[in-house]
Amino acid sequence: MIGGGRSSSSSSTATAAGGTWVSTTSVSASGKRIQREMSELNADPPPHCSAAPKGDNLFHWVATIIGPPGTPYQGGIFFLDITFPSDYPFQPPKVVFKTRIYHCNVDAAGNLSLDILKDSWSPALTISKVLTAIRSIFSNPDPYSPLTSGVARLYLADKAKHDEIASEWTVRFAK
Amino acid sequence: MVREEAKQAPEDSQQPNKAETSQNVDNLFSPRFKSVAAMAGWDEEALIIASLVVEDTPDRQQSKQKKRSDSIFNTPPCTSSRRKRRAQRTPLNLDEEQEVPKEESEKKSMEQRIVVEDEKNPKANEPALHCMDKLREELSCAICLDICFEPSTTPCGHSFCKKCLRSAADKCGKRCPKCRQLIGNGRSCTVNTVLWNTIQLLFPKEVETRKAVAANALNSKEAFECQSPQSGTRSTRTTRTRTRTRAENQALAARPQREDLSRLVNTDTNMTRRRGDPNQDNNAESARLQRDNDLSRLVRTGRRRGTPSQDEDAALALRLQREEFMEAFRGSSGHEGNEQTRIPLALARANLRAMASRAINRGRAV
Repeated sequence: MIGGGRSSSSSSTATAAGGTWVSTTSVSASGKRIQREMSELNADPPPHCSAAPKGDNLFHWVATIIGPPGTPYQGGIFFLDITFPSDYPFQPPKVVFKTRIYHCNVDAAGNLSLDILKDSWSPALTISKVLTAIRSIFSNPDPYSPLTSGVARLYLADKAKHDEIASEWTVRFAK
Repeated sequence: MVREEAKQAPEDSQQPNKAETSQNVDNLFSPRFKSVAAMAGWDEEALIIASLVVEDTPDRQQSKQKKRSDSIFNTPPCTSSRRKRRAQRTPLNLDEEQEVPKEESEKKSMEQRIVVEDEKNPKANEPALHCMDKLREELSCAICLDICFEPSTTPCGHSFCKKCLRSAADKCGKRCPKCRQLIGNGRSCTVNTVLWNTIQLLFPKEVETRKAVAANALNSKEAFECQSPQSGTRSTRTTRTRTRTRAENQALAARPQREDLSRLVNTDTNMTRRRGDPNQDNNAESARLQRDNDLSRLVRTGRRRGTPSQDEDAALALRLQREEFMEAFRGSSGHEGNEQTRIPLALARANLRAMASRAINRGRAV
C-alpha cells in the first residue's frame, strides 16, 4: 500500500521530479488516474472486495473478491491479478483469476470473459466497478458466452450439480 | 415568601438606579476627582467617609437589594456585621464586589456562547466540506477522475475534460464513456464555458495545479526567472556588505563585536587596556571575523525569507550606525590624540552618509 493517500498535488510534484517514488513509470495521465483510483478504493472499497498495487509498480495490482453468500463460491477468497495498460483508461485492464474457480466465464488459466473488460470497456469504468461486475458474475454466470463450455452446459442442464462442484472447488482452492 | 416576592418587584425597578449609583461612585473616584480632591486638601480617608455618607443616604431599597444579593451568595449576615464589614472596606470595593458576580455571570454566559459557537463552527463547516466533496465528485471527469479541465459536454449531457473526451473518442470509439451513446466529433471539442468558469471559481487551486502541469516546461522556465532576480539582489547585497567591510576594514580592525552602549561603557576600560596587549591583533581579527559572520547571517536571514524585508534592513542599518557611533565614541575616549579622534569621526560620518544613500536607494528599489 504505497502512497495510498497521495493527493494530486504531490503526484504533480512527483511528475516534476521525474517520478522519484514510482520506480517503473513516470506518473503519466494513466498513472495519475490509477493513483486516484487507489485512493478512492482505500476511502470507499466495494463490498467484499479489495485491490492494491502488488509492489512498487502502480500498473500491477492484486485484488481479492470474497465469494458472495448464497452462491457456491460463498466464503472463498479469490485472488486476481490486474494489469493496467499504459494507456489505461482508454484500454481495459487485464484481469486474471489467480485462484482456481469452477465458473463458466473463467477458463483454466484464470482468464475471464467479461464484456466490459473487452469490447464494452469504457474509460469511465474503474477497477472498483470492474470488481463489482466480477462479483456479480459469481451470482449470475453468463452461460451464453462461456469460456469453459462444459461448465456452461452443466450449469444450464443441472444447476444443482454445477453448484455442488463449484462449492467443492471453492473449498479446495479458495479457502 | 410572599414578602420576598413583593420585595423583588420594586427591586427590579430599582435595578437601573443601582447601576447609576455604582457609576456615581466610580465617578466619585475618577482620577480627575481625586486630583481635585487632592487640590482641595481632602485625603483618601475623607473621601471614603464622604462616599459612605453618599452611599448610605439613598433610601432603604438599596440595602434591601444588597441583602438579597448577599443571600444569593449564601452569606446571610445580620445587618450589624454587614455594617462593620462595609466600614472596614472601602465602599468602592464593596460595590465592585457586587458588580463582579454580575459581570462574571455575563462573562460566563459569553464564554458559553463562544464555546457553543466553537462547537457549532466545525459542525457548520462539516456540511460545507461535505458539499465541496460532493461538488468535487460531481465536477470531476470520469476519465481522469480529476476536476474537469476545460470541460466539454457531450450531446447526451455528460461532461469530461476536453482532452480526455478527445482521446476517448480516438481510442475507444465515438461513444459517450458514460452512457455509450454515439457522440459527434465536432461537439466534443467545444468547451462548456459556464461549467469551466464554475469549476475555475470553485476549485481555483486544482485548476492552477493542472494548468501548471499542463504548462510544465513553461512553468519551470518562469520559476527559473523568478529565482534569478532574487539571486541578483542576493549578490548585490553581498557585494554591498563586502565593499562596506573593505572600506571600513581599517576602522573595524580594532573593533570588537558589541551589542549595546551599556556594555560598551562597561567594557570600555578593558578595551583600552587590551589595546596595548600583544595579542591585540588576534582579538581584533577574531572580532572582525565574528562581525562579518554576523553580517553574513543577517544577509542570509534576509535571503531565507526570499524577499529582503525592510525591517531587517532597518535593523541592520541601526546596528551599523550604532557601531559607527560606538567607534567614534571610543576613539575619542580611548585616545586623547586629536588626529586619532578626527579620523574615526570622519570615517563614521562618511559611512553614515554612504549608508543613508544606500538606504534611500534600497527604499527606491523596494
